[in-house]
Amino acid sequence: MKKTNSFFKKIISRRNTAKILSDMAARLNIRILVTDAGDNIIADIGQDGEFEKSGNSGNSMVSYPINAGGDDQIGFIKGSEGCALVASVIDCIAEIESDKRDLTSELLSKYREINLFYDFAENINIRTDFNEMAKLTSMQISELLNADSILIILKNENTGLLEVVFAFGEGAEKYTPLKPEDAVIPERVILSGRAEIVNDLSADVELAGILPKKTGSVLCTPLRIQNRVTGAIYLINENPIAYTSENLKLLMVFSSQIAAFIENGRLLQNLQETFISTVYTLAETIEMRDSYTGDHTRRVMNYSLAIGRNLGISGDELETLKLSSILHDIGKIGISDSVLLKPGKLKDDEFEIIKSHTILGEKILKNIKQLNHIIPGVKYHHERYDGKGYPEGLGGEDINLMARIIAVADSFDAMTTDRPYRKGLSCDAAFSELKKCSSTQFDPAIVDAFIEAFPDIKEK
Amino acid sequence: MPKILIADDEPHIRLLIEQTLEDIEDEGVELLIAKDGKEALEIIKNYKPDLVFLDVMMPKMNGFEVCQEVKNNLKISGIYIILLTAKGQEVDRLKGAEVGADMYMTKPFNPDDVVEKAREILFK
Repeated sequence: MKKTNSFFKKIISRRNTAKILSDMAARLNIRILVTDAGDNIIADIGQDGEFEKSGNSGNSMVSYPINAGGDDQIGFIKGSEGCALVASVIDCIAEIESDKRDLTSELLSKYREINLFYDFAENINIRTDFNEMAKLTSMQISELLNADSILIILKNENTGLLEVVFAFGEGAEKYTPLKPEDAVIPERVILSGRAEIVNDLSADVELAGILPKKTGSVLCTPLRIQNRVTGAIYLINENPIAYTSENLKLLMVFSSQIAAFIENGRLLQNLQETFISTVYTLAETIEMRDSYTGDHTRRVMNYSLAIGRNLGISGDELETLKLSSILHDIGKIGISDSVLLKPGKLKDDEFEIIKSHTILGEKILKNIKQLNHIIPGVKYHHERYDGKGYPEGLGGEDINLMARIIAVADSFDAMTTDRPYRKGLSCDAAFSELKKCSSTQFDPAIVDAFIEAFPDIKEK
Repeated sequence: MPKILIADDEPHIRLLIEQTLEDIEDEGVELLIAKDGKEALEIIKNYKPDLVFLDVMMPKMNGFEVCQEVKNNLKISGIYIILLTAKGQEVDRLKGAEVGADMYMTKPFNPDDVVEKAREILFK
């Protein structure tokens, strides 16, 4: 037990113990001397000079050791023979206090764990980024468990190989990519779905024949969702230490959280992919009715994204641009074939009907909550920078940025693609047309961005 | 000798804070213990601790009442009071501010925060 000296001193100086001591000294009419294990006096209670008076054979002072139930003496009660009683009471108190202290430090370490879990659970819910979650988790694990390296390993569904998707700790990078000899234990854990402690790698049967020889201790738990094991968490200590089953249980808690996070991410990605492909199919259905020769939607999307990236748009905004560019003509679904597909020049009233596809687009999208945010890009993609466009005649920066981008992308594609009644322009010819209409029809900054970004656009 | 009062009816919380503050105790700080609100107020009046960890939900007198009494008493109103409350009762925070508590800690608290706060208040 560490800090034995201060521990005993603390017990003695507590108000209740001090009271017991002085009461006993008074009642028994004796002097009590309390010393620590090093014979330093902690307390001196009772009548002065009692030692000399009570003794008829010189020094009658007896020394009673206090063990507090342990093997080592943590202090002494000294005095006349009456002190035997005092010593046994103090020994009893010390033993209880010592037990209490052991239990409390156990409690405290559990409490720290609970506290970390609270933190962890609170934080993990607000993370959507895998790397952020992985880092947070690894940091929490490293606070609770000894490990030189913490690896999050996933099994690649296509190749069947194990891939380290996150490595944490000093020297953890040497495990990326995972060498065959380092993959043995996680491979086994993923296959069996059972967590493992190997406290001496050199004694592992399966590792015995493998070179180079591995030493150290590892802890490995499967990442499991229901009955599917998708990967493992792997804790490595280069030097052997003694991992306990309690350590393993602790790691299991983290691995189930990580597994749930990964599964959620997978489901979310599925959902998003389904959503995008549904939106895309919808757009293609509209496009089929139109006079384009195909793939207009995809090209407008690619052009729009290239402009967007060139302008520094990213994240959610870029996603909005993607969806608005895919669905920019969705309103055409409500335009009758006789007008939409009419070859040659349109009459004024027919042109009015065509123009209404912007408003129709808004009407359709209003009903889909998840797509409300793309309405401005769809509704205003026929507005002009000089304010002479439709449906509202907005001008300049009043036109939604997405709409200004789509206007350039849409016009460029309309100019460069073949129609039944005319051949498409070359890219250069279309560029000079865009430049000519810069500041009148188009936002000049967006025309510039497009021309700058165009060489990067990889046509598929 | 600086003093810290730990007032909580739950024995494990009292022990936890005591144990957490062990090092500070070794440096010469006296730890005082109260098991209910009434006892807490008695001890505060008699011993004038520098810092009080005061649980909100206590028998006889709750933490808010104790805190209000202390803060309304000019002689002891300078005592730093940290209210302790269970997770999920964050609404208490407002009430805590109302009765003049200096700080608010949610259980389970981080033991390191307890030590840090105690050092800050006692030694700065």
